[in-house]
Amino acid sequence: MTSTIEQLDADLVTDEAVRVELPWQAIVWDDPVNLMTYVTYVFQSYFGYPREEAERLMLLVHTEGRAVVATGNREAMERHVQAMHGYGLQSTVARAES
Amino acid sequence: MIVAGREGGAGGVRVVLESEEAMLLSELADQVDSVLLLGGDDDPALDRLLPTAYPEDETSANEFARYTRESLVDGKRQAAQSVRDATATDRDSGIVEIELDQAQAWDWLTFLTDLRLILAERVGLVDEEADDADEQRDDYLRAAYEWAGIVQGSMLEVLDPMGE
Repeated sequence: MTSTIEQLDADLVTDEAVRVELPWQAIVWDDPVNLMTYVTYVFQSYFGYPREEAERLMLLVHTEGRAVVATGNREAMERHVQAMHGYGLQSTVARAES
Repeated sequence: MIVAGREGGAGGVRVVLESEEAMLLSELADQVDSVLLLGGDDDPALDRLLPTAYPEDETSANEFARYTRESLVDGKRQAAQSVRDATATDRDSGIVEIELDQAQAWDWLTFLTDLRLILAERVGLVDEEADDADEQRDDYLRAAYEWAGIVQGSMLEVLDPMGE
């Protein structure tokens, strides 16, 4: 087993493979319409974040204009962004910066 | 308008509306449903309801829209219809009491958000040389926008985000 994993690791060390390995992000953007309490509520309810974390992210959105609300593979991030759109939040998918 | 918790510690929320408020909400919900049903690609309000997921990658953006748009529109229309039906009332009924479980409350929160996004877009569209009729319409939309925010804010004070 060990040798198989090492072999895989070796195969993955190419530029393209490293690019593919980079995680993706779901980003929520500030908009002047949504209530701060609503954004916090969505983060708690949908992501299951504790209130403090949900409020921290909401304040990031409010003060910085955007916050990364989840990181992972592309399909999962697209599902999150679709859910955010369903809740009426402005949200985009982006590749994490290396 | 009164928003309160439900009896017996059940999740969700109880909303009590004057019949005029219920009729207004029902009318607005019907209009949101129409915007979602009829809105063309040139309606800027739809860009607020269905924003792009990839602002810098048109191919991915189109693909995402192709896979998600129908179910997003369905979900938003269903939320608006649920509010429209719950608030449908005849003029003389006085007070309208509505019990919402957690899932129904989500429909209301979603609808109120979509409503406010549309109203914000419509008000923003009116230019500075608008005539009296436009300004009057603008005041009405702004009042509806504020009121929808108050209803939503009141619901959020009662609802438990971790509730089932």
